[in-house]
Amino acid sequence: MSAGPYNYSYIFKYIIIGDMGVGKSCLLHQFTEKKFMADCPHTIGVEFGTRIIEVSGQKIKLQIWDTAGQERFRAVTRSYYRGAAGALMVYDITRRSTYNHLSSWLTDTRNLTNPSTVIFLIGNKCDLDAQRDVTYEEASKFAEENGLMFVEASAKTGDNVEEAFLETAKKIYQSIQDGRLDLNAAESGVQHKPSQPGRNNLSNDQQGNKDNCAC
Amino acid sequence: MADVLTETVLPEDLKRFEKIYHEQLYKNDVTPKAQFEYAWCLVRSKYPADIQKGIVLLEELYKTHEEGHRDYLYYLAIGTARLKEYSKALNYVRSFLAIEPGNQQVITLQQTIKKKMEKEGLVGMAMAGGVVLAVGAIVGVGMAIAHKVKS
Repeated sequence: MSAGPYNYSYIFKYIIIGDMGVGKSCLLHQFTEKKFMADCPHTIGVEFGTRIIEVSGQKIKLQIWDTAGQERFRAVTRSYYRGAAGALMVYDITRRSTYNHLSSWLTDTRNLTNPSTVIFLIGNKCDLDAQRDVTYEEASKFAEENGLMFVEASAKTGDNVEEAFLETAKKIYQSIQDGRLDLNAAESGVQHKPSQPGRNNLSNDQQGNKDNCAC
Repeated sequence: MADVLTETVLPEDLKRFEKIYHEQLYKNDVTPKAQFEYAWCLVRSKYPADIQKGIVLLEELYKTHEEGHRDYLYYLAIGTARLKEYSKALNYVRSFLAIEPGNQQVITLQQTIKKKMEKEGLVGMAMAGGVVLAVGAIVGVGMAIAHKVKS
């Protein structure tokens, strides 16, 4: 059998953070299911999703932890930041307050992750341009000043959702190739899955026992 | 790095929330927030005794603090599922979905629990199959010996 139990060679850990109601779970759902959840209730604690993608011919499994935005969950959700290779930081372009809180989210992320963690800023709900409360230019400048990648996206239409998740993975993969991200570091947020070692030892042992049988 | 039923809390995180809870307990003034945060960490422990303790704290909250019902039900389902008490876990899930039928997060949890049950069911059957083979082998040996003795 040539195929092992893993049909991917890397696992990247992502977190999604930002104020409540900005559409974090809808972005995750759009990315993993390619569907828009119209009535999205508040997330409890953390939600989890996965999808296998391909970057430069390598299959990569994304393990995505989508954190609840409500304040009362924040103390515990912080413990999920540790060891994230990618952080998607989301605000709502129609609600200025969610943009104003970005510096606090960014501080948390910087304090709780490692220097190689890729932080991607997403201005969600760009389909609601008529109700826009934060300009593209302003957010773009904020991203540039803080060294973040940035897009405006829509979990509803799917615009730029794939791009945000994939570009983050490309940047992480690039860091691995450049040697800036140490795969052996405990909290790199990346696991490499080498080829399956095989299970021959086990069957050999059983064979041995049979041969030793006195009868 | 795993899913909601297998990821575990870091010991230092568990200790931090345990300390807050115990300080409040000492003053006889435990807030639902402190109790929930501690319980949330406990049900993610790798030790069944911790998970059990977390379940007790969540059950207490469920009785006394209506505001957080959905949170407590969700983590009761996770705690019991981690203890492999699957029928209990699915009951919590069903109670939740009776109130919020379309909740995708809880529907996903339900699927995760069912998948785990299926997997363990198959493992159980494989083990049972192994036992049958072993018994067969012993009987076979016994018959062979009996045959030898006779001849």
